[in-house]
Amino acid sequence: MDVKAILLVGGHPNNSERIAGVPIALLDVLGEPVLQRVLDRISRLGITSTTVISETEDNSSFAVRNRLRPDIYWICTTSEDIWRAAEHQFNDYAQKGAELVLIARLGAFLDLDYEDFVQFHLDRGARVSVVTDEENFSYDCFLVSASRRNDAAHLLRNELRSTRGECQEFVFRGFANRLRNAGDLRALAMSAFAGDCSIRPSGEEIKPGVWASNTARVHRRARLLAPSFIGRHAKIRAAAVVTRGSVIEHHAIVDCGTVVENSSVLPHCYVGAGLDVSQSVVGLRQISSVPRNVSVEIQDERLIGVSPASAPLRTLNSALNLVGYFPKSLFAGFTRKAPAACEVGTIPEAVNTPSPALNAVPQNEEGRPHVSNFNPNFLTVRRYGNE
Amino acid sequence: METSRPVIVKRIPERLNMKQARKFQQEVRPFLQSDRPQLVFDLSQVRQIDAAGVDMLLTCMSEAMRRDGDLKLAALSPQAAIVLELTRTDRLFEIYDNSTDAVRSYSSFLPNMLKQFYHVPRHLQQSAAFAATAPVAAAHDDGDGSEDVAA
Repeated sequence: MDVKAILLVGGHPNNSERIAGVPIALLDVLGEPVLQRVLDRISRLGITSTTVISETEDNSSFAVRNRLRPDIYWICTTSEDIWRAAEHQFNDYAQKGAELVLIARLGAFLDLDYEDFVQFHLDRGARVSVVTDEENFSYDCFLVSASRRNDAAHLLRNELRSTRGECQEFVFRGFANRLRNAGDLRALAMSAFAGDCSIRPSGEEIKPGVWASNTARVHRRARLLAPSFIGRHAKIRAAAVVTRGSVIEHHAIVDCGTVVENSSVLPHCYVGAGLDVSQSVVGLRQISSVPRNVSVEIQDERLIGVSPASAPLRTLNSALNLVGYFPKSLFAGFTRKAPAACEVGTIPEAVNTPSPALNAVPQNEEGRPHVSNFNPNFLTVRRYGNE
Repeated sequence: METSRPVIVKRIPERLNMKQARKFQQEVRPFLQSDRPQLVFDLSQVRQIDAAGVDMLLTCMSEAMRRDGDLKLAALSPQAAIVLELTRTDRLFEIYDNSTDAVRSYSSFLPNMLKQFYHVPRHLQQSAAFAATAPVAAAHDDGDGSEDVAA
């Protein structure tokens, strides 16, 4: 049977399902983009041709596109034209003799067995079938008989929200993640670590629960605690800690002393030194906190930065940093204000010296001191947290 | 213990980058240079804060504490809270839900000297004066916390 596929990336009303403007389907999860993982599943069905229609034309889509198989046809368009482009592509497939066309918007990640879906469609003799959950929530994954061009046109012109005729519902009870926000992206990574879905980390398991690519560079004093994942060419610098299901994607850098806990660091992201990244998705100059469901744009390169996508640029950047280090340090040394005289050194001595004030505490009739009569000779030391 | 000294509440601007941080620091400098300054920074409007902004907050706190005062933060916006957590500075400040609570907290403010009275080095604990004090300290610790020592 000749089955073809049209995958739509974007096209969601309100421009949601994005992190820092990039559709979540184009973001990496444990080493590979969600789109790539969906394409891998589809390819098992024996689909002869696949078209990806994306409404973004930026670095993220280029990066994903370059990693796809060459036979994947990629169309970049605007958000207004994405549905028209899909309709045009459907007609093109129909003219070329396709029997069934899978139309899916990413969207949700499903552990769907597409063979079962096709079989369901054929058994019912349906014109249009849709994958839903038990509560009739549509996952925006349709199978349309190629001869039903009007049904397809109606479906696409209504942005997959209504069908022209009767639509057979294929109730899916397997693993599904709707990938609406950063929290869902984190949940997908955690599900993959727990083995709840078909996603597996793309790397070697260097110790139980810790996956790392061969090209990842982990400092010997950095700590990786299971479960965690370190992607290709990622750098974990000294004294950094990656723990509790954290994912460091390819070309990301975690600088010295930073703790990454239950978080995802997106590709080409630089996480500054001495930070505490917890329950967040970090990257693209932005940090998205999962518990707060808030994203903050970070413009300070010392906190969250971006490492260049091109290898020569990264090398040049590193060389410039190295060359500029000594002049910068000299300049900072000359211009920095002298620190104010600090009397910290006298504190231990003062602590160990019995205060005369203690012996002079006035006592009440019960033999207890009058604490309200404050004596200014007492030592003042303030402690905050771990300081 | 009620204090007669004023508590200064300042609202932090929406964007706290290096330029804004310097400007803001100059604004609050007169307050910080007073005797035992009591300040509350309201961060409810903060939408963007970078390392310079965090540095400014720490500088203000150290200035205030050097003069035996204090700086408290109130009404943190989610953005400010995220950056303070990211830079691990949230644990250095006393943070309140709103400015009113932060101002009220100063009404029981003491310059921490009495608190230290109960953290006496071990060799001093054997002294007669401390032995008499210890039961009082325990009674206070079981109650409302260290702020109530002077109550």
